[in-house]
Amino acid sequence: AMRSRAEVDATLQTAKLNPAELLPTVHCLSFGPQAGAGECCLLQLEPGLCAELEAGRSLVIRGEKDEQAVLCSKDKTYDMKIADTSNMLLFIPGCKTPEQLNDNQASCNIIHSQIAGFSNNYWELRRCRPKLKKLRKLLMEDPYEGPDSQKDQTLTFSKYTTEDLLSLIQASEEEILHQLQVIDACKVEGYWRILEFDYEMKLLNHVTQLIESESWSLSKVPLCTCLEELGSLEPTEMIEHILLSYGRKYIDDGEVYFEMHEDKICRAIAQMLLQNAVKFNLSEFQEVWQQSVPEGMTARLDQLKGLALVDKSSRPETIFLLKVDNLPEDNQDRFNSLFSIREKWTEEDITPYIQDLCAEKQTVGALLTKYARSSTQNGVRVYNSRRPIS
Amino acid sequence: SGGADGLAQWVLLELQGEVEPRQSGGLAGSVLGDLHYTRQGIPVLIVGHHILYGKVVQLEKPFAVLVKEGAGESQPAGPHARYAVTALIKTKLLFKTRPKPIITNVPKKV
Repeated sequence: AMRSRAEVDATLQTAKLNPAELLPTVHCLSFGPQAGAGECCLLQLEPGLCAELEAGRSLVIRGEKDEQAVLCSKDKTYDMKIADTSNMLLFIPGCKTPEQLNDNQASCNIIHSQIAGFSNNYWELRRCRPKLKKLRKLLMEDPYEGPDSQKDQTLTFSKYTTEDLLSLIQASEEEILHQLQVIDACKVEGYWRILEFDYEMKLLNHVTQLIESESWSLSKVPLCTCLEELGSLEPTEMIEHILLSYGRKYIDDGEVYFEMHEDKICRAIAQMLLQNAVKFNLSEFQEVWQQSVPEGMTARLDQLKGLALVDKSSRPETIFLLKVDNLPEDNQDRFNSLFSIREKWTEEDITPYIQDLCAEKQTVGALLTKYARSSTQNGVRVYNSRRPIS
Repeated sequence: SGGADGLAQWVLLELQGEVEPRQSGGLAGSVLGDLHYTRQGIPVLIVGHHILYGKVVQLEKPFAVLVKEGAGESQPAGPHARYAVTALIKTKLLFKTRPKPIITNVPKKV
């Protein structure tokens, strides 16, 4: 039976509390039928998330059994961690605060509130980098080799739609879609695909050869003509895709043109050359590389940050392929990997390989302070591992 | 996910120690106590033979109350289960002070 006003007043009297000093309304708190079931839990919200929920947007918890769960809003990703408190937290629907009671003078004077649940812990959130390395890994399971590929087209198990990626990747939808753009993925028959590198170079080569034979300016490559001239060799979607990947689209006088990215094209050609051997004589490489890039483009070593590394200590100097994409995603693992490749790094050399590890507002310098030890060699500051690397 | 009609606003009550049922048979349905506010807005909680004085705190970081969906069906444990946001909590009633016991002589009959 629910408590009556008379019972409440009797309790007040026994407790020697003066009703005149209290607001007239009392909440009689009892435990609801499901209170002990543990079906409810608390999630502490970072700034912005409360507003998102109130606007009707969703938050999603993502993670496979072997992954630490993350929480994703529309555009951000958060690590989740349980925080314990020594206190008991009870959550009560329909419980009013003093302001709410004062605003409503005509309110009744007993409110029977049922406690919906209780807990001594809650989920805490911390903004983190979206875990996007898996995205490239999934798409690399079956790179697209073009329509003439000899591969068995009936094996579709390794293909991913946007929905598939949303359920497998621990990142927000916006972060995932942005990354798909960054890695130049394209949709083929509804599935996201990465182009197999040789096929990508084949497409790029068609375009650069056409640019040369037509004597077009590198900053004004017409889409229409490309599709006409190359459409018999490759699917038009692929021609357009390669132009979008390696150029900036714009419209002039109603026609679509592309301004080609010199740096990105030179970089791709460098990768094509470097992947054929463990390392190259630097000056020989530079010569071949410059000869291989389209007319009018200049090949420069600074275009290769995060792709290749120059060894200035060897005689003659050499260069080898080292792709940041192939390195571990976890901070400590990444540094271990880099220090096992080279014992001492200058800040200039290591920066392209750790830049992506920086959290919001974190600098490369802060990462180096945390994960490396610095010393001076020949007047130059170098960084090495904090611990012995086997 | 949040509902389009607007999420319910609940209140958090934070107490020291643990809550245990006075009688055996579990917590569900049993009374916790009476919650009053003084005219100055101070929350006063009478629990059993104790009076607790607290304060109303606006939470810097509000809470969302998550409820496991499909309760009762077999679900994977932990964060990999599906959750729905049932309510938001922006206010808590914090009772940090030690409870003052109520000294009674003879309980007054109603």
